Amino acid sequence: MNERELTARVKLGDEAAERALYDAHVDRVYWVAYRMSGRHDLAQDFTQDVFIRAFDRIADYRGDAPFGAWLHTITMSVVLNGLRKVKRFDQREAVLEEAGMVTSSVREAEPDLKERLAQAIEALPEGCRVTFLMHDVEGFTHEEIGAALGTTAGTSKAQLSRARAKLRIALADFAGDWIQ
Amino acid sequence: MTDDEMNEQPNDAIQDERIRSLAVGHYNAPDGTVPRDAMWAQISAARRAARSGVAPVAAVAPAVDQVEQSPDVIPLDSRRRTRTIVVWRWSAAVAAALVIAFALGRYGQPANTTAPVGPMVAVQPPTTSAPSHIDPVPGSPETSPAPNGPPPQRGSEPRQVAPRSSGGRSIVGGPTEVASADSAASALYRAAAVQTLVQAEAVLTAYRGAEASTRDPQAMQQAARWARDVLSSTRLLIDSPAGRDPQMRALFTDLELVLAQIVQLSGTPLQDSERDLIDRAMRDRDLLPRLRSAVPAGSATS
Repeated sequence: MNERELTARVKLGDEAAERALYDAHVDRVYWVAYRMSGRHDLAQDFTQDVFIRAFDRIADYRGDAPFGAWLHTITMSVVLNGLRKVKRFDQREAVLEEAGMVTSSVREAEPDLKERLAQAIEALPEGCRVTFLMHDVEGFTHEEIGAALGTTAGTSKAQLSRARAKLRIALADFAGDWIQ
Repeated sequence: MTDDEMNEQPNDAIQDERIRSLAVGHYNAPDGTVPRDAMWAQISAARRAARSGVAPVAAVAPAVDQVEQSPDVIPLDSRRRTRTIVVWRWSAAVAAALVIAFALGRYGQPANTTAPVGPMVAVQPPTTSAPSHIDPVPGSPETSPAPNGPPPQRGSEPRQVAPRSSGGRSIVGGPTEVASADSAASALYRAAAVQTLVQAEAVLTAYRGAEASTRDPQAMQQAARWARDVLSSTRLLIDSPAGRDPQMRALFTDLELVLAQIVQLSGTPLQDSERDLIDRAMRDRDLLPRLRSAVPAGSATS
């Protein structure tokens, strides 16, 4: 049974068809959510929300685009909204932690390349970070990113360019080794 | 302009590719397996609840509980919490309606009459020569003799309504006010009864859903908590004027039995015999069909 038939049956309330669509797309959705959040509990929560929302709104899916593309639009919406809430919470938590660690003056050891890379990606502005991860890491096209984020492909290209430039600067210490 | 053309320096392309490959391999890279079945259980429960118009017990309870217990987890979807709030609002509305109805019934009922007030009373138009009277509707249970009092008067001998006093101060100003209070009370009883029946149907549907598909202990406990609330309302209604209708009383009594079983048995993992007991009680009494037929169309969404 192809995807068009599956979505048609989901619209009729067929739970087996829902499960078939879920099985076909869950891994991709989960790993995108995990890539963006870095936490399995959040990835799990986001993935559940994505599929619940997708099945709730299946009537809106007209079949013009592949189901996966439509699903990834929902994925990005769910993940980005969820991450914003988590970020607000983490910021509040960080303030509390800083307040309790004022006396600590021990300097951290220089992080290695992987840690520096992770820090540099985390430090990117949200639009740049999302675009970089979606395009360079997850392989989405600029058109797909534009559709998912509600922007244009041109905006996506500009965001990617800025993200790469910032990452190059942040990891400039290692540039010599790479070029050689 | 392609992505590569955006790079100002040739070396930038090398750096970008290196960064990209590092990110693919090391930045939140996929590890382990996707918990497909666990997530599907939650999705399926939420979908089933959405189809039946019931708050998703299986999906809501763990999420809300985790959020409340763990400082690391943020409630990500306000719809879940909203559904839970709706359930509590329904409970609060039923409780408030019952309290008001009891208050009106208590203060609106004439002191010297033993016959019940409620949906079975009708008001005679007031005359100039005599105060208004309240007559039972012919053929209603009101016309049968009250167990502890004199038989009700009929036809040309309407019983009189005396104002009820408290401490020398008249609480009910006159017969018209008594009838008005009775009418308001009976309307509230009816509304409370309908709301309770709607909630009961939702609880039983949620219980069957949680029991049949996931058999999730947390979902069962949530159903038990919800059933406890509805059980309280049901018991109040049995003793209210709404429970004087024999058909409604039988329905409330059967409902009370099944809800009590769910409350008592759902706190722990159910044995097959216990599950059969509840299922048989629901099936033998045709409880869900009777509930659905007792609720006027459109009441569930109002």
